[in-house]
Amino acid sequence: MMQSQSKPVPVADIDTKPFWNYCKQHELRVQKCSKCGKLFYPPNSVCLNCLNTTSEWVKLSGKGQVYSFIVVHRRYHPAFAKEIPYTVAIIETEEGVRMLSNIIECKPEAVKIGMPVQVVFDDVSPEFSLPKFKPA
Amino acid sequence: MELKDLRDKTAIVGVGYTAKQGTVPDTTVMRLALEASKNAIEDAGLKKDDIDGLIIQPVMGSTHSYTIGAKLGINLRFTANQDVMGASSGCIAQHAAMAVALGQANYVLCLYATTEQSGRPFFGGGAPPAGSDFAYGAFGAPMSYALAARRGMYEFGTGPDTWCHIAMNTRKWANLNPRATFYEKPLTREDYFAEPWVAEPFRRADCCLVSDGARAFIVTTAERAKHLKQPPVYISGWGQHQHTADVVQSKYLTGPSAARESGADALKMAGITLKDISACEIYDCFTYTVELTLQSYGFFKPGEGKDFFKDGRTGPGGEFPVNTSGGLLSEVYYMGFTPLTEAVMQLRGQCGERQIKDPHFILASGNGGILQTHSTVIMRR
Repeated sequence: MMQSQSKPVPVADIDTKPFWNYCKQHELRVQKCSKCGKLFYPPNSVCLNCLNTTSEWVKLSGKGQVYSFIVVHRRYHPAFAKEIPYTVAIIETEEGVRMLSNIIECKPEAVKIGMPVQVVFDDVSPEFSLPKFKPA
Repeated sequence: MELKDLRDKTAIVGVGYTAKQGTVPDTTVMRLALEASKNAIEDAGLKKDDIDGLIIQPVMGSTHSYTIGAKLGINLRFTANQDVMGASSGCIAQHAAMAVALGQANYVLCLYATTEQSGRPFFGGGAPPAGSDFAYGAFGAPMSYALAARRGMYEFGTGPDTWCHIAMNTRKWANLNPRATFYEKPLTREDYFAEPWVAEPFRRADCCLVSDGARAFIVTTAERAKHLKQPPVYISGWGQHQHTADVVQSKYLTGPSAARESGADALKMAGITLKDISACEIYDCFTYTVELTLQSYGFFKPGEGKDFFKDGRTGPGGEFPVNTSGGLLSEVYYMGFTPLTEAVMQLRGQCGERQIKDPHFILASGNGGILQTHSTVIMRR
């Protein structure tokens, strides 16, 4: 099947679409509650702190550090075969929200918790640019 | 009324196994569900028409509890599908206990069935990850738990050297349990470190099995339990706690997991302390889950897991038995039904070679949603 050979892409729904649209412009933005000012991610229709329903999308610096990571050595999906071993990581951004992503431009054995990283956008399709992270 | 008023007022009176466990091809979830149900009813010495309550954990496909009731030919006064992932078994037991204590039902059958092993969608099992995880090559529970575990290594100084003891101790229990998938397969330190990575830092032996089969248990009042076939196992205390946080944002990947709140509630209801617990049946979806759960309950301080599991301490003959059936790692993966029913069988004294000596209180845990949901049930003879 053709589809099984290409990498899965994110699902953009009514909540997540703005996030992916900003990514397409190579901007990393998350929601900021217009009432209590708290940042939240992943995209949500209400603020996790106060349930307010309005928010603005604020730009993050793109800087952060590795909160945790794993190294994938086996083939779970044919489209990732060429990248094995690859690193899946939780990135804690400078602003505090965390994101699941990949560490790129860095050998898996060199990745460390606390390592400073910087966002880079991977244009995987006309619709999606994935925020990934490389050593800062 | 307070929860402690229900201390020891309800009991588990029947346990149902399926004859085959592990890999059971050419069957259906429904057949397995009905087999375990029938066996639980017979084990308790009940007739099918005595059953008037049914709660299932609906990971068994799209099955609804009333459909199973219909297939058993019973009428229900109380029924529900309940799903808080791996915490379900304990939460189901709690609802069943409340129902019988209030007279909503006399005997509540609690059930889980699965054909995940023979029909599994991808290695590692579990629910497909949501949202964008796939796009990053992150597939399923083993990877999410491994992310938590790596952070645990960083914060606690534990890791494969600790988890290896958990895996070996659990396997030794399985080697005493003829029903266990790994009954005839020992695990040495060398074996553990020779196993391939599932997702580094997890090797194969850090991860639970994926299984076919079913498990059932029956809850009734302590009063009714006294007149049935098996020695009653009383439910002394229970608790549940759900953090319901997004896994990546969670503050709890290195604990304290919801075991802390859930356990404190259960101990308070039972009127005991951790010192009174003879053994634990922990939801061991991964070795790290055992470390973090026991630590969050307060059996040891953060980081002390490094020594806690050494020298077979939680294995057969050890001073603190944990997961005496071989657990989810080495017996069979029926979600929280594996640990909970093993606690019942140990308290009944019917565990053959793996029977622990004179257990009084046993704690069974459920954990799900990548360390976000938790249930605790404390049982006694």
